[in-house]
Amino acid sequence: MKRDISKSIDNVEGREKISGEAIYTSDITMEGMLYAKTIRSTIAKGRIRHISIPSMPKGYYTVDAADIPAENYVHMLHEDWPVFAENSVNHIGEPIMLIVGPDKEVIKDIVGDVKITYDEQTPVFDLSDSHKALEFTKGNPKHAFKKAHKIITYGYETSYQEQTYIEPQGFIGYPENDGVTLIGSIQCPYYVKNAVKTTMGMDDDKVRVIQAAVGGAFGGKEEYPSLIGCQLAVAVAKVGKPIKLVFEREEDMEVTTKRHPAKIHMEAAVDETGHIRGIRSHIGIDGGAYMGLSQVVLSRGMLAVTNAYTIDHVNCKGDVYLTNTVPNGAFRGFGAPQMIFAIEMFINHIAEDLGENPLEYKMRHMAAQGDLTATGGVFRDPILLNEMLETIMEDSAYHEKHKAYQDPDVFKGIGMSWFLHGCGFTGSGEQEKIRARIRLKKDDKDDVHILIAAVDMGQGPKTTMRKLVASLLEIPIENVHFKNPDTRYVTDSGPTVASRTMMVVGGLVARATRKLSEQWVSGQELVVEESYRQPDYVKWDQDTMTGDAYPAYSWGINVTEVAVDPNTYEVKVKDMWNIYDVGKAIDERVVLGQADGGQAQAVGYATLEKMEHNAGKLLQKNLTDYIIPTAADTPRMHNKLIDNPYPLGPYGAKGAGELTLVGGAPSVALAIEQAIGRRIYKIPATPEHLMELMNHEDH
Amino acid sequence: MVDNVIPKSLDEALEHLAKGDYQIINGGTDLMVKNRAWSETRLDFKKNMLYVRSLEALDYIKRENNVLRIGATTSLESLLYHEHVPSVMKECLHLFASPAIRNMATLSGNIGNASPAGDGLLITYLLDGVIVLVNAEGVRKVRINDYVKGPGTTDRRSDEMIKEIQLHDDAFDYTVFNKVGGRASDSISKTSFAGAVRHEKGIIKDIRIAIGAVAATVIKDKSVEHMLRGQSIHQLKEKIPQILEAYEPHIQPIDDQRSNRSYRKKVAMNLLEAFLRQIASKE
Repeated sequence: MKRDISKSIDNVEGREKISGEAIYTSDITMEGMLYAKTIRSTIAKGRIRHISIPSMPKGYYTVDAADIPAENYVHMLHEDWPVFAENSVNHIGEPIMLIVGPDKEVIKDIVGDVKITYDEQTPVFDLSDSHKALEFTKGNPKHAFKKAHKIITYGYETSYQEQTYIEPQGFIGYPENDGVTLIGSIQCPYYVKNAVKTTMGMDDDKVRVIQAAVGGAFGGKEEYPSLIGCQLAVAVAKVGKPIKLVFEREEDMEVTTKRHPAKIHMEAAVDETGHIRGIRSHIGIDGGAYMGLSQVVLSRGMLAVTNAYTIDHVNCKGDVYLTNTVPNGAFRGFGAPQMIFAIEMFINHIAEDLGENPLEYKMRHMAAQGDLTATGGVFRDPILLNEMLETIMEDSAYHEKHKAYQDPDVFKGIGMSWFLHGCGFTGSGEQEKIRARIRLKKDDKDDVHILIAAVDMGQGPKTTMRKLVASLLEIPIENVHFKNPDTRYVTDSGPTVASRTMMVVGGLVARATRKLSEQWVSGQELVVEESYRQPDYVKWDQDTMTGDAYPAYSWGINVTEVAVDPNTYEVKVKDMWNIYDVGKAIDERVVLGQADGGQAQAVGYATLEKMEHNAGKLLQKNLTDYIIPTAADTPRMHNKLIDNPYPLGPYGAKGAGELTLVGGAPSVALAIEQAIGRRIYKIPATPEHLMELMNHEDH
Repeated sequence: MVDNVIPKSLDEALEHLAKGDYQIINGGTDLMVKNRAWSETRLDFKKNMLYVRSLEALDYIKRENNVLRIGATTSLESLLYHEHVPSVMKECLHLFASPAIRNMATLSGNIGNASPAGDGLLITYLLDGVIVLVNAEGVRKVRINDYVKGPGTTDRRSDEMIKEIQLHDDAFDYTVFNKVGGRASDSISKTSFAGAVRHEKGIIKDIRIAIGAVAATVIKDKSVEHMLRGQSIHQLKEKIPQILEAYEPHIQPIDDQRSNRSYRKKVAMNLLEAFLRQIASKE
């Protein structure tokens, strides 16, 4: 019998990362290397009146918008985000120029002597200036609301969340081959390459991007590195020497993208039997100063509007509002954590308003195989939520605890959420935007090289991709190689995002491996390629946002137990029981590691991670003030996986990375609700907020 | 450029202090952070620096009856595991920053820093600490409540340094230490509370109450403590509303990026009340 693919092997990067051998961007030095430091806007909105630059010592340079050879915008979906601010600034911390030179002490002095004067303008901080509105409709919500026996309405709010990767952002760039090469801490080598090509007006063969070891990313290194990669490319082209640009922790927290704060309005049309006939929703997200990826974040949030429930009539609207604050962007979950918080809390609140048992009420609305999704697509594959629920209820002793914690004097609670996560790019993005290509090469020693642009930022593809190929070919993993991607050698298999790496890229790798196996001639070099083809049955209309938003869904349930201190209002998250359907884990330990990490981030999101700005200036900009959970704040985790192989995934694998974070916050918040006997409508549920709730008499 | 001096002896350190204006740096866990600069560049120190952490002669923990004497360069981590250190202080030290910080940080540094949120300062107040200062001429003793003048300001003269901290322990029957930080460990206190009581046959013999991070300095009201000594636990129970009223005006916290005024105040009062009710329950 063949070994089960899920059985764990050692993480192939574990040794070099733990021993300190791994080479991160800041470890790299090059002969004649210079350093760069960024000069930033100190105001939220205005026109630059004058920039006074001190006399520069020999060998020191300024680099700004005037040095850009081609386009002064970061190539993404929109063309609004400047590489360097030119004439006007739109948020505090916006980059205006780089100071480049050999001695950091001298650079520091020059930076201190650069004086910028502005004509300040009135900044916008509230959600009023919509730059993108989306909407979709399923069934006939107008009718459902007209015929409603009762309409129930609530509003929900979520806050910023900072990715807090261990390694701050950075690149080293150098001139090569009349072009520029960048080595950096990145998730998406080809995003950086394409952005640099646009800004520099360079041909494909002039821009090379190489991934260094990445000390965590969580989405924070999806689009933001394109900005600083472009800046550094401009600097390298001007100066003609290697230059290093690495952020300090505080700088990184102040100026890089975060999870979008969101305001979500929910309305339900309930019939005589208490069943939800229709849902109307509006989600507004704060995009910050520039659009970036906000439109796609909004769209993923909206697509989660009915979560893992089947609701026949749905209208969902959403807006990206721009404000004069740091641009927000990708973060594990990508809009879904905001919406799943809202819908999970909402459905519980509806059940309570109707005097129903929330769990039974939720079960009556649970999505089943063959049901239509919120956008009228089809849940084609088996949904195992019932089996998962049975397991987790028993493991967590949910019913007994839920009953015991009804006593208001114990200040304990247990909460449960279930959720889905669409795997891969939203809508037809994989087919139309990404068009992933992968390449495998067998050398004359019969070793196989995986040539893809996927980045191992801790989530394990170096281990799992090699394991996948070795397992399919039945050769030792030592004979399969996967180096940090270098765009000179690897094809564009797409960004390392959206829980797509194993399902989509791994799926192509598996197909190519089979091809390689068929054509295998020992001792002969052989190259095979594969590219993405959307399954024929997947139909998506981007204009109306209808059809199959995702080819497949992963599923999860979190149960959380908390205790609240009635004197200090502090929440102790004691235990979390979690179960996930990721199709088939390519390596069990890798997925369970994702679970531990994702859940810890969810606990932080729900209870601790408060970030706010005062007139555009972030108040919590270091790890003393921005509170992420330590080991002592992290609950005991009881994680399980259930197999439910997806026909098109390698060995049945679906997405895993984001699933473990997207639904945790409502399970924590619902547990807190029980512990304090009050409702929660916004997160993080900090002790300060709980005090207000608990001291408020009418509830 | 600032002058950096690492003295080899206490005498040498005092000589420098007598001659010039130095910023004393001990474990550096606060000053290094406050004066941080771009990586691989010089720290942002503005004054001449005197590094005292390596003065081994001041690395000691001694006990004479109820008095615990802690040398100025003794690490918090070594206090944490020392037999002479009272349990209420160990409770505090367990929650004090992180192990890495505790290995460098010192109680004298925490006191010298005089942050109202300093957890070590709270315990020093609770245990009626006396600060032993030394200069080239000799030593001078100052009670902690006279030593701390306000946030970041102390009674230390520029030619003096802290040599030792003397803490006055008692055979307490019941002590509490509550640190309310942003999270369970490695955080800065939003508010903190320490209480200790010794009673015999239902009569309070000694009671100490210290509240941190809710005013310019740690709150410790000796008049209330004196008033309660010699009273019965039953009398204390009756007086709880009065005691709370006595402390209430002292509690004047601020709004900042870590918490807000109303939370800090409410929690400080809750913790005080919980402590008093716990004593009352021993009636």
